[in-house]
Amino acid sequence: MNSIFASVAGWGVNVAIAFTALRTNLMRSILTTLGVMIGVFSVILAVAVGNGAQVSVTQQIATLGSNMAIVVPQPDSGSGPPRPNDRGRLTERDGQAILRQVSGVRAVAPQIRNSVQLVTPGRSATTQATGATPEYGNISNVNASEGRFLTKSDVGSAARVAVIGQTVSDKLFGGDSPVGQTIRVNRVPFTVVGLLESKGSNLGTDNDDQIVVPITTLRQRLLTTPTQGPDDVTLLFVGFEDEDSLLAGQKEIKRLLRDRYRVQKGKINPFTVRTTTEIAETTSQVTQIFQAVLVAIASISLLVGGIGIMNIMLVSVTERTREIGLRMALGARRSDIRNQFLVEAAVLCIIGGAIGLLLAVLAATIFQKVADFPAPVGIDTALFSIAFSAVIGLLFGGYPAVRASRLSPIEALRSE
Amino acid sequence: MTMTVPLIDTHDLVKNYEIGGETVHAVNHVSLSVERGEFVAIMGASGSGKSTFMNMIGCLDVPTSGTLLLDGIDTKSLDSDQLAEIRNRKIGFVFQQFNLLARTSALDNVAVPLIYSGIGYTDRRQRAQLKLEAMGLGNRLENTPAKLSGGQQQRVAIARALVTDPLMLLADEPTGALDTQTSLDIMGIFQKLNDDGITLVVVTHEPDIAEYAARRIVFRDGKIIEDEPVKSRRRAEHHE
Repeated sequence: MNSIFASVAGWGVNVAIAFTALRTNLMRSILTTLGVMIGVFSVILAVAVGNGAQVSVTQQIATLGSNMAIVVPQPDSGSGPPRPNDRGRLTERDGQAILRQVSGVRAVAPQIRNSVQLVTPGRSATTQATGATPEYGNISNVNASEGRFLTKSDVGSAARVAVIGQTVSDKLFGGDSPVGQTIRVNRVPFTVVGLLESKGSNLGTDNDDQIVVPITTLRQRLLTTPTQGPDDVTLLFVGFEDEDSLLAGQKEIKRLLRDRYRVQKGKINPFTVRTTTEIAETTSQVTQIFQAVLVAIASISLLVGGIGIMNIMLVSVTERTREIGLRMALGARRSDIRNQFLVEAAVLCIIGGAIGLLLAVLAATIFQKVADFPAPVGIDTALFSIAFSAVIGLLFGGYPAVRASRLSPIEALRSE
Repeated sequence: MTMTVPLIDTHDLVKNYEIGGETVHAVNHVSLSVERGEFVAIMGASGSGKSTFMNMIGCLDVPTSGTLLLDGIDTKSLDSDQLAEIRNRKIGFVFQQFNLLARTSALDNVAVPLIYSGIGYTDRRQRAQLKLEAMGLGNRLENTPAKLSGGQQQRVAIARALVTDPLMLLADEPTGALDTQTSLDIMGIFQKLNDDGITLVVVTHEPDIAEYAARRIVFRDGKIIEDEPVKSRRRAEHHE
């Protein structure tokens, strides 16, 4: 018990000695700390931004809907560039075929997307119109928070109705309820029948800046570029029962479409089938690489900070060789001398780490406000960074400290 | 109480240095015994080996060959931690240049050896204060060395040497940086400490300082050429 108290007291003494030494060379200490501070600051910020990207992507994927395959009429060129000769097509009939012939398919939502101009008395906006069917709401969790979503009869009768996003509503109607109002979409009057549930924004994309209209209405009244056939679509959302049927279904869809478009063996598909699982994996890989690169770059500055610590500790040991000799003469063991300098380096680093952490939290908060991008600094990141800077101190302070402890007492005492 | 074991006991103690390919015999086969309670002055010209000898009996330097027994312990078998413990518990050092820590109060300077004995903060300060008061520095506890005279600094250093209640004090030219009167004060303190039972070994090149000791040893070329009691021993006024 006594020895525990003694060793605790010993560390306390070392901290006191460290502070005295650091105060003695205040300017030098501050500059050295600055190196670690910048290092910790950049590492934490990099981790926070990386985490933010991850969160954003996860949200983005969640807004897409789960257990879903997306079919687009773009040649599946694998990793190579798209080939212009293999321009693909995709139609509503393809969708119906998928629904009938592929097992595990819950619903198919064909869509046409087109940029449109919106006008109300006195206001206007440009946004993206999605021509869809009621299945769109069902598959990708798109619902109306006010009014209603599209119905079968809207699609059947090519009704001029629109369900609009929160951002569009704010632009055109301010704080007023848009339901029941009339807007002109590419000069065609539409009745707003619903307001879409807000899905926020991810990575700078505003999910609420869109309107949804019946696919039939869009095709007849709003299309600005001609299509190859009467029922061409921009993409198909295919909703599956569960994840297992999704995996099998992706292959089935490919096989079915290859048949339908008579793609010869060895030729690439004029369409691409991606699943939400794949998209989630790819994007999370991308953000992980993004985060790793950020952290790697930031770590370099931490490394430079650590080298600064090592450098200054070597100077400190050289300057205080006589003090080391004296302490040894008075009974300090090698481990006492080593610990004294280790604690000094650790104190430098922990102070730098703490300030760096504070600045990083501040910067992340500002970043979050200004750039509207989540950059969370968790308590785990905070604790980790403090611990990590202490480790940097021990690592880079280790060599100078061991060097100090290896000095011969009499040679150290004799030095000037 | 047995007094049969000498406090310092050396046999054929040798210390060689290699300088520019030549071997210098700094200490050349020295055998010497110092009993508890002795007051020894070691004299000699510079380069005579007296300081090297002193550093070896203080466990600051390692002999090239020969044996050194301190309080009956053969130092050859000790590792660096055990040597540190001997320096801490059994030996108090007093240096020519005082070697106090700058920007550190007298009290904290005196308490340093107790850190390495594993004594707690409060205890350390109490014991350091007692030693400083015994040196007549009770009103200088919080002064840093820069605020103290040379004589006061050396008394702080003596208090520091005594704070672990060692068996012996080793002083290397303790009056070398002091004026005559202050030197006599310091020798008076040493005599009083010796009267109280502590063993003293003082290295000096000043003959009149050596006359305060009870035994005088003279080194030349790494060997003892003279070892005899001081005939007309001087007594200093005691500070009470």
